[in-house]
Amino acid sequence: MQSTTLDTRAAQGSRNNLIAMALVAMLAIAPWFAGEFVQHLAVLTCLNVVAVTGLALISRSGQLSLGHAAFMAIGAYCAALAGNLAGLSFIPALLLGFAFSTRPTFYALALAVAILSTWGLYRLFRQPLGQAIDSVAVNPALAEATGLSVHRIQICCFVAGCAIAAVAGILQSRYIGYISPESFNTSISVGLIIMLVIGGRNSSWGPLVGAIVLTPLPELFRGAVQTQHIFYGAALILILRFMPGGLADLPRRLFTRDQR
Amino acid sequence: MDWSTLLVQATVNGMVVGLLYLLMAVGFTLVFGVMRIVNFAHGEFYMLGAFAAYFITAKAGLPFLATLAVTFIGAVVLGILLEVLVLKPFRQDELNGMITTIGLAMIVQNLALMVFGPDPLSMPAIVRGVTRMGGVVIPTSRLYVVGFALAVLVLLYVFLKHSRPGRALRAVVEDFEIASIQGIRSRIYYPLGFGLGVGLAAVAGSLMAPLFSVSPFVGAAPLLKAFIVVILGGLGSIPGAAVAGMALGLVESYSSLFLNTSTADMLIFVLVIVMLVVRPRGILGQGEA
Repeated sequence: MQSTTLDTRAAQGSRNNLIAMALVAMLAIAPWFAGEFVQHLAVLTCLNVVAVTGLALISRSGQLSLGHAAFMAIGAYCAALAGNLAGLSFIPALLLGFAFSTRPTFYALALAVAILSTWGLYRLFRQPLGQAIDSVAVNPALAEATGLSVHRIQICCFVAGCAIAAVAGILQSRYIGYISPESFNTSISVGLIIMLVIGGRNSSWGPLVGAIVLTPLPELFRGAVQTQHIFYGAALILILRFMPGGLADLPRRLFTRDQR
Repeated sequence: MDWSTLLVQATVNGMVVGLLYLLMAVGFTLVFGVMRIVNFAHGEFYMLGAFAAYFITAKAGLPFLATLAVTFIGAVVLGILLEVLVLKPFRQDELNGMITTIGLAMIVQNLALMVFGPDPLSMPAIVRGVTRMGGVVIPTSRLYVVGFALAVLVLLYVFLKHSRPGRALRAVVEDFEIASIQGIRSRIYYPLGFGLGVGLAAVAGSLMAPLFSVSPFVGAAPLLKAFIVVILGGLGSIPGAAVAGMALGLVESYSSLFLNTSTADMLIFVLVIVMLVVRPRGILGQGEA
């Protein structure tokens, strides 16, 4: 009896996963058939997915970075300087022998990096190392007592998260073609934190969901930037209060409510 | 003008700014000490205090002392309300509490932007004229501001040292659990600590409104400075904040004589990082995790 309910639950779970996958795939493919503007937004979304994934890695080891945009800036400036001074062109272009100069092809590259980073995060947290990282965040003292080096794990996560942010910075400098210290200020860092929290801090899908929902959102509020920020602030507090798992946790919550 | 006059002038200016940092940092560290969260909305209360001073003194014509009292009480009440209504569920969850204050800061700043508009307003000085001491010229309004700030700090000191609620508050800052065991009702002191902390920020805002301009964006810089002061002085340490606040004001004032602003700012951040690496608990911090 119990095994059958478990089976149906598992079947329903995998069906839900399939639906989610199909939805994401449709969202990912759609920009190629849409206009320039949608493609532009799609590229920005992918870049945000990458940057927020880096932040998620830092956050899941129990840390918070308010300077995440600075590491994007380091990546962006290194790429730009390498291009200008050392004559090194865009690195993926060198590796793959393809220029990625048009918007549709660049979207393909950004999408590939975004999927790769999300998949990497998902894989990492299904492995012992990922569980070690989670345990460091939940209870550092206990983790230390079980033989994990909290300090080392946190440093590793911070470095890896910042490196991922730098990758996003490299892509962004190439895509926008213009960088300045002002394009990586604190409000960008805070924006990344908001995406992470609204998407879901403890889910591997959180960065993906957060970036997909929040990157195009300002376009809906073009006329009223201030209301938009008030809305962001309120959404941040409400989600922290009532949905600590973020939007990525929503299907599971609805699903378990049905079961009751 | 010779060098000694310039130096004395820089000292006086540095002390005025240092007092501002001190007021901000004491409130900031009080909130951190009680609630263990970094209050990112602290600068917004400074901004609200500055607007309160502008509207109450410059528009409604109330005396400055009354303005300070009204602002302080208003901010304490607002802080208590916010703590009870918004921050209460996050008491055991410092990281989420911190992110919540970021949300609060965004809401308050953009509400102010909608209500007051983005243009900086300038408030008339509380008193006209200058005071001369030797070769040094000080606008009298600055002296008033210094006097008021010192009075606020003395009142705070007396409250924390000698009154029952003040001593209880310090006990909660020192060790929350042991304070609870001694019968101190922490349920009261969470909102009170937050209210007092943001009240001090609002007073700092009102005091500085006549010296600097008033706009919805003025809160960011004092918040950052409070952050620096608190790190230098030691998180949760009030005497440490006092020493570091004055030191930061003076260092900034002197360095502006010799360096340009961005170099000076960078040097201060280098100092903060060195401090965090070499002596993470700060100048007078207790060294508690």
